[in-house]
Amino acid sequence: MAQAGAIVLAGGKSSRMGSPKAALEWHGSTLLRRVTGIVARSVDGPVVVVSAAGQALPALDGEVEVVADEREGRGPLQGLAAGLAAIGDRVDVAYVSSTDVPLLHPVFVRRVVGALEDTVDVVLPEIGGFRQPLSAAYRIDLLSTVEELIAADRMRPAFLFERSRVLHMSEDDLLEDVALARLDPALASVSNLNERADYERAHALPAPEIPVEMFGPLATRSGTRRQIVPAWSLGAAAAGVHVALDEHVVAALNGDKITRDPELPLVSGDTVAFMVADAGG
Amino acid sequence: MPPGGYFGKALLVDLSAGSSRSESIEESVLRSYVGGVGLGAWLMHSYCPARIDPVDPRAPLMFVFSPMVGTPLTTSAKFAVVAKSPLTGRLTDALASSHFAIAGKLTGHDAIVLRGACREPSVVVIDRDSVRTEPAPDLWGLPAAQAEARLRDRHGPAWRVAAIGPAGERGVRYATISHDGRHAGRGGLGAVMGSKWCKAILVRAGTKVGSADPAGVLAAARELRKRSFGAATAKYRELGTMANLLAFNAISTLPTRNFSAARFEGAPALGAEEIADLRHLARNSCASCSIGCEHIYRGPGGTQARMEYENVFALGPLCGVSDADAVIAASSRCDELGLDTISTGGTIAWAMECVEKGLIDAPWLRFGNPEALLRAIEQIGAREGLGRLLALGTRAASQEVGRGSEAFAPHVKGLELPGYEPRTLQAMALGLAVNARGADHNRSGAYEADLSGAHDRLMGGEAHVAGAIETENRAAVMDSLILCKFLRGVFAEGGRDPLAEWARLLKLVTGWDVDADELATTARRIVLAKRLFNLREGWTREEDWLPDRFLSESLKLESGRTATLTATRLEAMISAYYRERGLDEAGVPDPETVGKLSLHGLMGSEQIGAKVG
Ligand code: SF4
Repeated sequence: MAQAGAIVLAGGKSSRMGSPKAALEWHGSTLLRRVTGIVARSVDGPVVVVSAAGQALPALDGEVEVVADEREGRGPLQGLAAGLAAIGDRVDVAYVSSTDVPLLHPVFVRRVVGALEDTVDVVLPEIGGFRQPLSAAYRIDLLSTVEELIAADRMRPAFLFERSRVLHMSEDDLLEDVALARLDPALASVSNLNERADYERAHALPAPEIPVEMFGPLATRSGTRRQIVPAWSLGAAAAGVHVALDEHVVAALNGDKITRDPELPLVSGDTVAFMVADAGG
Repeated sequence: MPPGGYFGKALLVDLSAGSSRSESIEESVLRSYVGGVGLGAWLMHSYCPARIDPVDPRAPLMFVFSPMVGTPLTTSAKFAVVAKSPLTGRLTDALASSHFAIAGKLTGHDAIVLRGACREPSVVVIDRDSVRTEPAPDLWGLPAAQAEARLRDRHGPAWRVAAIGPAGERGVRYATISHDGRHAGRGGLGAVMGSKWCKAILVRAGTKVGSADPAGVLAAARELRKRSFGAATAKYRELGTMANLLAFNAISTLPTRNFSAARFEGAPALGAEEIADLRHLARNSCASCSIGCEHIYRGPGGTQARMEYENVFALGPLCGVSDADAVIAASSRCDELGLDTISTGGTIAWAMECVEKGLIDAPWLRFGNPEALLRAIEQIGAREGLGRLLALGTRAASQEVGRGSEAFAPHVKGLELPGYEPRTLQAMALGLAVNARGADHNRSGAYEADLSGAHDRLMGGEAHVAGAIETENRAAVMDSLILCKFLRGVFAEGGRDPLAEWARLLKLVTGWDVDADELATTARRIVLAKRLFNLREGWTREEDWLPDRFLSESLKLESGRTATLTATRLEAMISAYYRERGLDEAGVPDPETVGKLSLHGLMGSEQIGAKVG
């Protein structure tokens, strides 16, 4: 399969929101931190954030790269070009996301990226009757086409789709994926937040229920090995089981990634294991 | 005057001639190699004839002490046993903790080197400079603990004893040397001792050793002791290393059924968190230790055994056995026979797979069968039936069986792998491949780097190489000082620099003006001194490698990701490791490295065995 990276466009105007979306608080984290964390969990390659020139961004994971788009305010194609240029020499495909999708799920990203076969340039979900160009996968080779369109001032994504091989994916197509149907049946992965009320509604949603397992002294001290806790992030999961995420503890996400990053986003279907950091023996 | 913490001499015992003498060790050597495994490597260069058969009477067996032994520093009552391994044909050095360390050093020597062989089953009695052998036919055949108890009854409680069990007497290539219920486990040191017809060594303290700054050492010891009760050692105190088992299972690093899987469905039945309530009997500690990581469990029929992660992993999941009674009984039987549990479990697991594939005709030996596990252990200890083959370890046994069985023989350089799955711990994969002793988790703690979250443990690359080197260097210092690895978190917590901490302690004991930079150089020197010994013995680059299984079969994680370690990736990590260590493509130190680390004396055949005879 093609090597995939991700591009998160953070430079939009957020005019209807009233404050920059990227920095909006999200349960102890921020929207941008959450979305970059989710796409980082979903692809093997790098994650690039495209910001507006001079835009202040919230703290991000150290692995995430940031490029400033000097020609701001020209829409998503401009950001896409900056992102593809920054990532292009390392990956074949990029998942492109907006900042304002806190319910994005890694299985959605993997479903979209996984559909990009050799005969396809763009995988474009259509959900709720709308095309989702900022929840889509793009072949890196499209950069020259995007640049030509920008040069011709043809700034709408639709112009790009006219000139590329697009795989349109309906809701049914997407939900053929068993994992996606189980973990994000409403395709909330593409629910974006435009107005303050959208944000407040999303923010008030219950957190994913995360099965947490504890090992070693953490288990004996808490008197239980397993608990289910609502948590949007690793830090919340740790707090939920009264574990301090200090230098003596590490967490394993889904039996795989080892981390103690409290802002690591969690989603439904995740499991977390807390264990002592010293694995000697 | 030797520096504080040392006597500046080794006791050389010739068992064939019945003679002994002391030989001085220059201060420059002590400072360059410190003690324990470092000094042991230097002594092996000096006193081991080149290319000798490890069980030839002329091959030395060394008990090497360290500057910290005899100080009040917690966990310092340790020594290294060093020899050429009958299992690997390369250097092996096993550490153990007990009063033997203190009494052995206080014979007035920094090392005791046994060469030659007794004429009959004997014990060697060392009282300061006086050495004698006593025939001990009545002890031959006894478990080490029983021989130890009888000898202390006979000679008095001031004597400390290191002894072998029946497996060492019979030359099982992974037999251990035991004392106070602890074992110098890896590499077959018990077989070397058995080849000398030496059932036990008795030592007693006859002198004292001073420190350069006794008040400073005492204050440091108090402080370290206090720190040793903190969060960094909680795991060891509360559950012991057994706490690894379920955690490793959850992250797909628990080797299962001869490394064909990394998660074991029967793990909960063996996890300390699950069974401690019912079976945990007591907690003990080594001599001079304030942590106390030994956890004693109840087995079947009133038996007891000290349970550690490595013996449970090797005799449980690796053999597909989830019956806690059987694993405890197997562990306890290995202790009685004097068998290294990791190599025992690894060899039996390999044989079980051979049976499954029709390569060995022993239909009773099936994965998951507790009776089969116990029966195989008896046969190995007795060197009878299938045990004759299995007593050789997986490398030699697989060469004998052939027909593709080498591909899944779980060893590096002949030493069976410990309980860390290399495909899901890829810094560890490198550490296992390049370590001088063979597949080993004590001299290479690279799993720490993998489990720190600093890199993706499934995608071995540059960060993994750096992690493997750093942990190998730290181990070289700790194993030479010698301080228990389970204290390492204490030296690193709160952003401390462990090398600076260790340098401070070494300075207080010896009076040397040693600092972290010097210890960093010392670490590199020790790692390469061991490599140079192996080179002298015929090592080639091909030996720094993992069995085919790890490079041709992938593992699926719970997350859905696949862990694959390709030959190309391993090769790239090894080449990067060589470059960083100052080795050429063949794995030999380049002239600049030799100069920087003052390794000239260990290069070149004219030096080989210079002190032999
Ligand atoms: S921590 Fe455990 S192994 Fe280390 S010295 Fe103490 S009892 Fe022995």
